[in-house]
Amino acid sequence: MLADDDRLNIVVITNILQTEGYVIQQATSGEKALELYDSFQPDLVLLDVIMPGIDGFATCRELHERYGESVAPVIFITAKNESEDVVEGLAAGGADYLTKPFHRKEALARIRTQLQNRELIAQQKQLVAELKKANDAKNKFLGMAAHDLRNPLASIRGLAEFLRDGTVGQLTPDQIDLVNTIHDTSQSMLSQVNELLDVATIEAGELKVHKEAQDLGELVAKSVYLNNINAARKQTQITFDPPATPINGAVDAQKIRQVMDNLLSNAVKYSPPGSKIRVALSGDRPACKISVQDQGPGIPDDERHRLFKDFGILSVRPTGGEKSTGLGLAICRKIVEAHRGAIMALNLPGGGCEFSILLPI
Amino acid sequence: MRFDGKILIADDEAHVRKFIGLIAKQLGSPQILEAKDGREAMEIYQRERPDLVLLDVNMPVQNGLEALKQITSADPEAIVVMLTSLANRETVDEALQSGAANYLRKDTPKDELLAAFRETIAQCFATD
Repeated sequence: MLADDDRLNIVVITNILQTEGYVIQQATSGEKALELYDSFQPDLVLLDVIMPGIDGFATCRELHERYGESVAPVIFITAKNESEDVVEGLAAGGADYLTKPFHRKEALARIRTQLQNRELIAQQKQLVAELKKANDAKNKFLGMAAHDLRNPLASIRGLAEFLRDGTVGQLTPDQIDLVNTIHDTSQSMLSQVNELLDVATIEAGELKVHKEAQDLGELVAKSVYLNNINAARKQTQITFDPPATPINGAVDAQKIRQVMDNLLSNAVKYSPPGSKIRVALSGDRPACKISVQDQGPGIPDDERHRLFKDFGILSVRPTGGEKSTGLGLAICRKIVEAHRGAIMALNLPGGGCEFSILLPI
Repeated sequence: MRFDGKILIADDEAHVRKFIGLIAKQLGSPQILEAKDGREAMEIYQRERPDLVLLDVNMPVQNGLEALKQITSADPEAIVVMLTSLANRETVDEALQSGAANYLRKDTPKDELLAAFRETIAQCFATD
């Protein structure tokens, strides 16, 4: 669409553009341009700046007001070319500026550029929409698959335990050994499936945090106690000195326990057998801090950025041959952030790493 | 502590019935009945009047929540424990409000499930 009050200009420009194959809608004023925009749906608007009635800048502003982001790019055409006017034109939402008399080739090139941009932006929007759809489908599928795998794995683990306990008859030591393997493997798979399910749920935006007032010291102590059972297998010990006065806060106990389990099992995993893991809880309104110090190799500097990302597996290896999905810390971060807290990792000067979470209470 | 009552286990997956069945046996129950969907669960309930029902939430034909509501409206004293793979808050609340005595995840370790069943029985039969 071309808007100019000078009929001669309109004829000249129209000829140039029609020769190139463009379809032109003429308008003799800003008001007329606004009137015709909707029915013509131009891909580009050429606006003369100086027109009686509303000028080019005002027309451009009005177009943006009415049509927002999807409005066609506007190129101002005018005899004026002081830099303030250029600035005002761009501020009014114009994409480019052509001064009269203009070179035919230059004008055509600029018009072509704006049209190309418009097309690229439209393509990009569509790609993003398709990607989002694909991502949603992936999350849904992931959730369903993980969900379907969970029950059978839980049953395998449970039945293996019954076998091991002798509930359905005594087993020979060799048989117990095989059953232990079945049990541990299915347990490991169950953990991985649960992590995948967590990720799918979180990515689908379904992470809901139900906060209730708790004694945080008790929450941490319980986690430490349960994780020590596992740690003992590696002769590793987790210690926790509860704070002198109870620290209460509103958190989602189940989710924070999940974070604690993750941090503690990582600490045990990456520290050599026989290590001491130190857990501490401190702070008061407005926030508390829970920290876990391990005796592992620490986080390599060039891998820090991957630490809390999905599938961010580092070069550091667990010291007991344990498996890692690389999802645990990403899930921790999302849970902590859902509490409007923060999680971080610091290498300790004497070796080892300290993971801490800050939670508003 | 031995539990002398009849137990009904309803779940569409055979391995779950087997697994939960073994746990139920550990409670000491002399008779363990099985159903593979909500409708079968209702039929067996009406016929046998089990003392404890372990009901899966997601079942074909008639799902667990529906069966729960039917059972508790016919018999408000019924002891029904819901078993599930999910545990979203809305379903838990609905089940508890419809009269379920407890709501447990099927992938809970077996010793914890056993303890939870025992606790539920102790609470519900303590009033007798």
